[in-house]
Amino acid sequence: MKRTFAFSFSILLQLFMFSASGADTIAFPLKIRAGADLFGPAYRIAGKNNISFEGLLIIDRDTSFSWVVSAGYQKYFFSQYNYEYSAKGLFFKAGTEINAISPLVSRGKYFAGAGLKYAVSFYTYEAPFISSENYWGEVNSSIGRISRAAHFIEVSPGIRTEVFKNIMIGWSVHLRLLIYSGTGRNLRPVYIPGYGNGTKSFSPGLSYYLIWSIPYKTEKINR
Amino acid sequence: MTKPRVTGLLSGFALLLLTTLLMFSCTPQSCQEETEVLIGASFYRSGTGRIAAPDSVTVYGAGKEGSYIYKKAAGQQVIFLPPDASSDYCSFVIGINGIYDTLTFSYSTYPHLLSKECGYTFYYTTAGCTFTTNIIDTVIIRNNRVTNRNEENIRIFF
Repeated sequence: MKRTFAFSFSILLQLFMFSASGADTIAFPLKIRAGADLFGPAYRIAGKNNISFEGLLIIDRDTSFSWVVSAGYQKYFFSQYNYEYSAKGLFFKAGTEINAISPLVSRGKYFAGAGLKYAVSFYTYEAPFISSENYWGEVNSSIGRISRAAHFIEVSPGIRTEVFKNIMIGWSVHLRLLIYSGTGRNLRPVYIPGYGNGTKSFSPGLSYYLIWSIPYKTEKINR
Repeated sequence: MTKPRVTGLLSGFALLLLTTLLMFSCTPQSCQEETEVLIGASFYRSGTGRIAAPDSVTVYGAGKEGSYIYKKAAGQQVIFLPPDASSDYCSFVIGINGIYDTLTFSYSTYPHLLSKECGYTFYYTTAGCTFTTNIIDTVIIRNNRVTNRNEENIRIFF
C-alpha cells in the first residue's frame, strides 16, 4: 500500500516536471483570488442540521507559491438518546499553498497542489441535556455555555481549474490535526467549528470552492 | 497539447485526493467505551493484610432493599459499587459472610465526555468514607478518582 502510494506520487511528480525548450518567454498572471466554500451551504440545503460558511483569499507570491487566509462560521447541533450538544463559532486560517503543476502548464489557470494552514477556532458549546442511568436511576443534567479557543493545523491537497475567464472551481480534501481544543479532559468538545470531531486528534473534511481571480501583476517566465 | 496534459494531471491528482478521502472517510460508529462508572472495593483480611474473598457477599443500596448489586456472591475478591450521581453521598449495605455493615461515601460529581458515540457520564472525586464496624475492621481509600476504568478505589479490611 505504502509502495503503491509512493509510486503514484513519483509518477505524478514526473508528470509535473514539464521540461521546457526554446528561449521564448510567456506572461504568467499573478492573481489575488477570493472564493467561497460551496460545500457548507449545499450541506445545509440538503437538509442537514449544521450551518457552515467559509470564505478564502489567495494571493500569489510567485508562479507556484501563494499565501492563503480564510475565515468562516459554523453552527453544529447533535442529538442522540442520552445527550444534546450544540456548538457555534468563528474560525480563521492562515498559511501557504504550493502549486505542483509547472507554471508553463498551469499559466495561472490550473492548480493541483497542497496548502498548509494554521487555524484558530473561537467557539462556544453547550450540552443542554445529559442523561445517565445506573443502579440508582436516571440522572438528567446539563452543561452551560462554555467559550473556548481551539488551535489546529490543516493540510489541504486539492485541485482547481479555470472554467470561465478568472472564475475557478475546485475542491480540496482537508486533513486536520488538533493541537489544543481549549478544554480539559472531562469536557472535551464533541465538535469544534472549523475543525470537526473534537474528541479526535485527527479530523478529515472536504470543500468545494468557487473562486474569482483578479490579476494584479504579470511575471515573465522562460518557456 | 497543453490542455489534454493538464486534464490528465488534474484527473490523476483528483484520483489521489479521492483515495485519500476514502482512506479517512468517517462512518458512524457505535459506543465502544466503558460507560459504567463504579467504585472498586477489594477485600482484605485484617489479621494477615492479604487480599481475600469472603465466603459470601451481599450488597445493595441503602433504601433499596431487595434490589441487590451482589446477592450471596462467592469468590468475590473485588466488588464494584455504583455511586449515585444525583447526590453528593450514597450508602451501601454490605453483608460479609452474613454479617451486615453500612458503607457511606461522600464525593463530588462532575460530567465527563466519553466520546461522541457514547455521550456523557459522571465521574466522582471521593471526599470520604464512613462505615459501621460489625464485621468491617477498617476502610482505606486508595484512589479517590472514580472513573470508567473501574480500578481499585478502596480496600475493605474484615
